[in-house]
Amino acid sequence: MQRLRYATLAVITILLAVFPVLKPEVYYLSFTFSVFMYVILAASWNFIGGYTGYLSFGHAAFFGIGAFATAKMAAVFDLTPAMTILATIPAGVLAAIVALIVGYPCLKIRGPYFAVVTLCFAFVVDLAVKNIELLGGAEGLWMKTMDFPEQMSRSIMYEVMLVLMIITLAVSWWLGRSRFGAGLTAIRADEEVAETMGVPTARLKIQAFVLSAFFPGIAGGLFAYYLTYIHPDVVFNVNISILIVLMAMFGGGGTWLGPIIGAVILTVVNEGLSTFAQAEIARIIYGALFIIVTIFMPNGIIDFFRKKNR
Amino acid sequence: MRRFTRNRPGPNNVDAVLVTQSLISGIMMGMVYALLSVGFSLTWGVMHVIHISHAAFGLLGAYLAYSLLEYLGIDPVVSAALSAPLLFITACGVYQLLIKPITRAKEVIVASMILTFGLAIILENVMVLIWKADPRIMTPVYASGALIVGPFYFQYPHLVGFGLSLVGITAIYLFLKKTYTGMAVRAAWQQPEAAQLYGVNLYRISMITFALAVSTAGAGGIGLALLNSFEPHSHNLWLIYLFLVVIVGGVGNVVGTALAGLLIGVVTGLSMAFLPFQWVNLVTFGLLMVFLVFRPHGLFTEGV
Amino acid sequence: MTGKWKKGLSLLMIAAVCCGLMLLIPAAGFGAGKPIVIGGSLPLTGEFAETGQWIERGMRYWAEEINAKGGLLGRPVEFKIYDDQSNVGKAVTFAEKAITVDKVDFLFGGYPGTAARAVMAVAEKHKMVYVSMGGHMKSFQQGYTYSFGAPPLMGEWWYEGFFQWLNSLPPDKRPKRAAVYTINNPVGLSLLDCINRWAKYLNINIVINEKYNSPLTDATSLIVKAKQNNCDILFSNGFFPDGVTTIKAAKALDYHPKAIVQGIGSVVPAWVKELGKDGDYVFSGTVLHGKLNYPGNDKLNAYVKKKYKLDGYPLYFGFGYAWMQTLQQGVTGANSLDQTKIRDWLKTHKVNTIAGTMTFDKYGLPAPINFCTQIINGKVELIWPKKIQTHAPVYPKPAWSK
Repeated sequence: MQRLRYATLAVITILLAVFPVLKPEVYYLSFTFSVFMYVILAASWNFIGGYTGYLSFGHAAFFGIGAFATAKMAAVFDLTPAMTILATIPAGVLAAIVALIVGYPCLKIRGPYFAVVTLCFAFVVDLAVKNIELLGGAEGLWMKTMDFPEQMSRSIMYEVMLVLMIITLAVSWWLGRSRFGAGLTAIRADEEVAETMGVPTARLKIQAFVLSAFFPGIAGGLFAYYLTYIHPDVVFNVNISILIVLMAMFGGGGTWLGPIIGAVILTVVNEGLSTFAQAEIARIIYGALFIIVTIFMPNGIIDFFRKKNR
Repeated sequence: MRRFTRNRPGPNNVDAVLVTQSLISGIMMGMVYALLSVGFSLTWGVMHVIHISHAAFGLLGAYLAYSLLEYLGIDPVVSAALSAPLLFITACGVYQLLIKPITRAKEVIVASMILTFGLAIILENVMVLIWKADPRIMTPVYASGALIVGPFYFQYPHLVGFGLSLVGITAIYLFLKKTYTGMAVRAAWQQPEAAQLYGVNLYRISMITFALAVSTAGAGGIGLALLNSFEPHSHNLWLIYLFLVVIVGGVGNVVGTALAGLLIGVVTGLSMAFLPFQWVNLVTFGLLMVFLVFRPHGLFTEGV
Repeated sequence: MTGKWKKGLSLLMIAAVCCGLMLLIPAAGFGAGKPIVIGGSLPLTGEFAETGQWIERGMRYWAEEINAKGGLLGRPVEFKIYDDQSNVGKAVTFAEKAITVDKVDFLFGGYPGTAARAVMAVAEKHKMVYVSMGGHMKSFQQGYTYSFGAPPLMGEWWYEGFFQWLNSLPPDKRPKRAAVYTINNPVGLSLLDCINRWAKYLNINIVINEKYNSPLTDATSLIVKAKQNNCDILFSNGFFPDGVTTIKAAKALDYHPKAIVQGIGSVVPAWVKELGKDGDYVFSGTVLHGKLNYPGNDKLNAYVKKKYKLDGYPLYFGFGYAWMQTLQQGVTGANSLDQTKIRDWLKTHKVNTIAGTMTFDKYGLPAPINFCTQIINGKVELIWPKKIQTHAPVYPKPAWSK
């Protein structure tokens, strides 16, 4: 049965990777790109949120830091497309470093207070970028578009995001099975007890937080290059932070599959509704979706299906 | 026109009048935020429900007051009183249909957040359908006057909001401290098992708490609507301030919420007086972060 | 274990397939008289819903009109308008959807400036003519050839008319000390450009020059500082919410500058409707006005009066209409649906719209359009240039009405 699972995964991965070769319309590449992005964001958030139980409500900050760092580097060093894509990695590292600096004091705070402190953090970063010309300012930043035909450039971005998603999900998979992950789950269950059992809670929390910031940072850089214009309102948006939390918990926090399901369903449904229903009605249906799913599956989708098979 | 410029301060000189005036309006605004926040805090503290659509209900109250003012000339303060029972009944319905089913979730906090997030989106778009997306301003007769005391102005809408806030928060406080139902609410929060042993019906108490919280939201929304323009999307902005006030004051703590409102008002007022306006929001959020790092349970840790 | 796995996977598959199928279905059905489809996205919900909806109304009115006259190139015009929920990322993907999946004949959309900036890049890549408000001057300096601001919402031009009028006043009547408060975003920053240039020329001392970040919850300190520094002209370079907060504070605090200049907050109908007399006498700029003697203005005014009971069409209604007018003339002029031909035609010919006659430079911009407006008795009156003045300006500003 394990083999069936691995086989399915391999098949899906290959199908996704090969998709651009079929020369689909650019929109499908772009849309799937955004789905991958939200999967990465939700799955990374899950490291600190779902597994460890520290709900970060400012995760868009890391996304935005990656975006602005990449855009700034591309402008300052006049990078080629390949270098720009590679520049997203140091951008991700920067996001991780910021997470380290901020996480150290903030992870000492528990529960709702941690949620609000991260919310404030996201606003602080947003306002700092807007106020400080050097960091980008309130005009936003432009990037040079890739000099390839659109089909090719979108395909490249698609593949890169796919690779990032696979890596992020691989890390997430490993986390679920590792001692690290077990430690995080212990922290979520009862932090004091975990401490008395010898789990190095402070160190694990910070590691989880830093790891959870790294991938969104890279994703942010890729997103910036995909739009070729970013503005603080676009990437530091509180709606993104909240949406990431909802996606992960909606699908099922603390599981490998949960954020994937949450991100895919919410993004696809939102797009489908906007395409077919009248604007306000689409939003109302979208809101109703949250309500209905939560009433029937109050612990997330994964948990519901898990229970059904007892 | 009055002149306060005996020593002709330049643009970077800050004089006592500016600081005091800034504090006055900051504090009054802070208290209005506190009024909207008190219900949010209660719901969170007592029921472990993060009611994301609390601000949306507040906005609904504001729209109702706006319409009552425009078509029937009813003053917003009266509407605040009228909206309370209306919202109370609506909230009871919402509780029975939507909230009660999820109270059995493993993590009620997260489930409630997701559900009420959806509810907030629905409410926002229903408001768009009814009132359109145009921004509105609440303009009662006293909309742009001020009480002048010496060199200081107490803007009437701010004063009314402040007054509403004092009345509303005191009412909640007294309810919780002095009435039997109120005491039952506190008991249910602090010692749910013991309360049940003494015959407290937890579901009924939860419903009453929830409905009470939402009924104050109407007054809070009206208070905020007196200060600034509003449109269906405004509840998102209000929600941010709700989180801030509730966290500073301590979740579930009514007095804490009021003091937090005051504190945030003072911080905003002082920053608007001393700092370039560009940095005011950043400083407010930054200070809040620092505050939480050093005092991670808010101003008070315990009870009402 | 397997059961759960299978269940989860099947759920995923079903959901994805269902919604994926929804997305595969392209736009409007095509009948016998194959319509011309104009597609794109607008913020119909969310933060910018109000303006997004006005733009849509202007566009639809244009379509009604042109379809009644036989359509564009003999074919009826249809829209495919997506709601991007005031989200820039969605604006980009919907623009791509309109172009590559729905294969629309023409692209439109993208509001506000941040979304337009992002969509301009998409239009360029797909070589689609893109008529929009643009994203202020910087966006037109990125080397795009297919984008046109026709007319644009150009913060850098917005106050030109006002300052030219001020220049016509005898020097002793002009204000001397300015308090400039600007919202910290692309619109605000582009408004500042004009002020800095003209203040030097007119000898106006900019005593206070501060930016603020949205949201501006309280303007008390702003007004107190302006009062204390004897500023006799106030610039409120922002949107509706902060503009309202500033005006209300100015009235409540008894601040009487000679003039109040508003950015783009006073261009929405709600300004006059909600503020009433308090909103009077603010100066602003515009690129469109119902009383201008350009073709089509009178028809728009009549329509808007009948349908929305407004005196004069809102700016964004006019924008939607004017952009479509430009596109229409480009199409009929080039007599083709070929984007490059249309682009080249537009860059070498004049268009006549409700914004007047426009010729476009290599950036896709017309010559600066800069009318000065003042709201007098609840109506937006034209103040400058003199020859199109609809009402004498009221200056200095009268006391607040109690």
